[in-house]
Amino acid sequence: MTTAEDDALTTLPPYSDADLSDREAPAPAGPRLGVLGWLRWTWRQLTSMRTALILLFLLALASVPGSVLPQEGTDPAAVSQYYTAHPGLAPLLNDLSLFNVFSAPWFAATYLLLFASLAGCVLPRTVRLVGQARQLPPRAPRNLARLPFSASYVTQQQPEQAMAAASKLLSRRHYRLQTGDGWVSAEKGYLREVGNLIFHIALLALLFSVGIGGIWGYKANRLLIVGQGFANTPTDLDVFHPGRLVGPSDLQPFSINLQSFQAKYVTSGPQLDQPISYAAPLTYRTAPGAPLRHYTLQVNHPLVVDSVSVYLIGHGYAPEFKITDGTGHVQFDGPVPFIPVDQLSLTSEGVIKVPDAKPAQLGFAGIFLPTAVDVNGELQSAFPAALFPRVSLVSYAGNLGMDGPVAQSVYQLDTKGLHQLPVAPRPLAPGQSIKLPDGDGTLTFTGYTQWVSLAITYDPGQLPALISGILALLGLILSFLVRRRRVFVRVQPRADGGTAVVVGGLARSDAAGGFEAEFTDLAQQFLDLHDGTALPEAADPRPGGDDEAADVSSGDEFVPRKSAVTAQARAAGPDPASAGREESEA
Amino acid sequence: MPINTGLADTSNALLFSTVILYALAMLCYACDFAFAKERVVAEAPALVAVGAGGPPVQVPISVPADAASRATPSRWPTGVWLRAAFGLTCIGLFCHVLAILARGLAEHRVPWGNMYEFLAAITCMAVLVLVAASVKYRAYYMGLFVLVPVVFALGLDLTVIYTPAGSLVPALQSYWIAIHVTAMIIASGLFIFGAVVTTLYLVADRSQRRIAAGQPSWSAGIVDHLPKPAILDRLSYRSILFGFPVWTFGVMAGAIWADHAWGRYWGWDPKETWSFITWVVYAMFLHARATAGWRGRRAAWIHLIGFGCLMFNLIGVNLWITGLHSYAGMP
Ligand code: HEM
Repeated sequence: MTTAEDDALTTLPPYSDADLSDREAPAPAGPRLGVLGWLRWTWRQLTSMRTALILLFLLALASVPGSVLPQEGTDPAAVSQYYTAHPGLAPLLNDLSLFNVFSAPWFAATYLLLFASLAGCVLPRTVRLVGQARQLPPRAPRNLARLPFSASYVTQQQPEQAMAAASKLLSRRHYRLQTGDGWVSAEKGYLREVGNLIFHIALLALLFSVGIGGIWGYKANRLLIVGQGFANTPTDLDVFHPGRLVGPSDLQPFSINLQSFQAKYVTSGPQLDQPISYAAPLTYRTAPGAPLRHYTLQVNHPLVVDSVSVYLIGHGYAPEFKITDGTGHVQFDGPVPFIPVDQLSLTSEGVIKVPDAKPAQLGFAGIFLPTAVDVNGELQSAFPAALFPRVSLVSYAGNLGMDGPVAQSVYQLDTKGLHQLPVAPRPLAPGQSIKLPDGDGTLTFTGYTQWVSLAITYDPGQLPALISGILALLGLILSFLVRRRRVFVRVQPRADGGTAVVVGGLARSDAAGGFEAEFTDLAQQFLDLHDGTALPEAADPRPGGDDEAADVSSGDEFVPRKSAVTAQARAAGPDPASAGREESEA
Repeated sequence: MPINTGLADTSNALLFSTVILYALAMLCYACDFAFAKERVVAEAPALVAVGAGGPPVQVPISVPADAASRATPSRWPTGVWLRAAFGLTCIGLFCHVLAILARGLAEHRVPWGNMYEFLAAITCMAVLVLVAASVKYRAYYMGLFVLVPVVFALGLDLTVIYTPAGSLVPALQSYWIAIHVTAMIIASGLFIFGAVVTTLYLVADRSQRRIAAGQPSWSAGIVDHLPKPAILDRLSYRSILFGFPVWTFGVMAGAIWADHAWGRYWGWDPKETWSFITWVVYAMFLHARATAGWRGRRAAWIHLIGFGCLMFNLIGVNLWITGLHSYAGMP
């Protein structure tokens, strides 16, 4: 390489886009950095970025089992099913946290490492950008024709005049300028890095926001039967997942009463059975003693009380029973929530336990059919609304096993200590009863009501997460829209009294192209401004025969060149915008 | 409001016509490939100026017909076959848009409530991107390669996946469906286009390297009709530049909607998980592009993996994995 070339290239190293990932301040890439220095510098770029790449890949990979295997967090029932289906494999998977992927230690390790790498990458870059923003663009290289884009022409204007006009045009276009003896150097597009940094920092902020939710937020579920109510206290909630620093007294003290529940379904056509709308009118108080308010809870329309949101996430039937035991005492009288086993027809299953019944404890396992129809001797539900409700029960007597050490699910009957009673299987209509044999008592299906399941969430990280997300998106768009580029102009008096003008330009991270068009346009403006005459191509001798013609840089695919200006595109050493490099490095 | 069955039938007929038109356009693009010789003859006048001063370009140049067959490259297609192909594509696209509009009007809602409608919409978006890229970047050579998968997908859509017009389940009744799903459709259309370009890039790149190494290349016949790999690479990158922010927005909008509907903005539901995976892989692609050693072929493979994730989310998750997203909506 000649000295002139070195000089031209000194401006380039900090201009390669790999430099963005440099964790250390960039080595002052002077002419005498040497091959080793270059190698080390390049290696550091590659490793840091490569680390990010590998970690991103691991994160993607680590998420896969979470979507393929059932997860405790989203579908615990499916996990138990998996245990039954694969008794050998399931404990093994459980040991690897594969039923809890997104809270698994190895998953956390992956994203924490990634975010550590992100912080380690972004913070120094921010510092560096602040430094760069205060610096002037570098001196113009001596031989502008060696830049990826250049144009040259002659003008009758004097060099100073031509310089002044060029500077004015560039600053009008919001370039930052440095001028010297016979040259102007201009730079623009710092916003690209600003956008990129905002994006990455916003990702960090997003992670923190999620963390805030996990520490100070909580999630809960409550099944609520029409006519009943509950208060937002840990004991009154069915499922309660508090954040790490949430105590029972931190819960907002509202209470809710369910007035009724209405569901509408498609009654004909191919979409028969499909729900059209759900509505759950309810009353609530923000605190004990506060005024009573009304709200109609619907899907997609949560109730927000005191920054806590209450959602309608499910519904079902609760058949009502009255059970009299062998001694003639009414031991049970009320609704029992049944769980839908088929979402379309709302065929539901449930159990009734009567531990106080005498002489023996009683248990019933039943199916509720909202619209019962007889299909070849088998009873099925034909429609989700309760048009022809029937309940079919199997009755048991004996020991319910409820005084064991482990609390029983109210939705399951442990039949170990029970024996089935010989009752003729007969679906009950509302009002009908079964008389249990041996004077064990009577059960009456008195009617039915409905229930809804509510999700209650409090997430103080939600707003920060939203803001981070919006910032990330804006930063991303900014970095994609702006391209950082430099333009240089050199003027030189000619023997014939005119002035020779050379315009050179280069863009960093111009992978999507487009700089060439901008440069051509700019060069054309210089030409017009200077009243110049384009030089014949021969007047700009290009050194070296090792040039690779960079057809990519020819830019906007097959745009005709403006005849007045010869924009030259060639691969110039470490120029990132050219494809020559890409090919030589592949 | 009841479904307007007349309009729904019109929509079906229009979509059927769309497939026919696209299939015809596809044939014309293929004929253009086979019979329009002039593009190979002219050695791209535009490119000569670019290499000015440098040595002659060594790699065999093949430029799309419009650039090569005229002194001043034109924005619009040239040659009988290409004109016919592009015209048919545009008429097909018009019918496609009308079909989607009619469906929406028939159902009194945004027509992307199930797999059938979603597929019709993303193919429409893919063709829209094709037409835009053809005009803006003179990428007429993409026609055949985009229309083949589109015709195939629409064929499946009208037969196997077809779902009659209907109303939405309560979970989908929200204005967020218009925001979230629309963004996902736009991004998917761009990603489909990008994946096709990337595949062509890999084919062209391989062919070029084999020829350079003196080895035979089965794809040389096709590659002769394509621009240089570097131009394909850039076009594919552009599709991600547009697609990635839209996808990011779509995922965010989905999170906000999930918060409205289910009470959490992110719950690792399979659909969410896979859109996250897709997002991460495309982010990897962008990082790979920024790293010199990973440009070109390796970045292209990451691009295709990202697209694989997108497709798995669209097809695999809907068919094999059940989640909260009632989107699957298969008959
Ligand atoms: C959570 C993990 C990360 C995600 C999701 C992510 C995502 C992205 C995306 C989407 C871009 C392209 C947008 C743009 O150019 O502004 C990008 C660019 C970039 N990222 Fe990351 N990133 C992550 C972590 C990192 C890490 C750890 C590093 C440091 C090694 C890093 C360094 C960079 C650099 C230098 C660019 C600029 C590339 C260019 O100018 O073309 N990122 N990142």
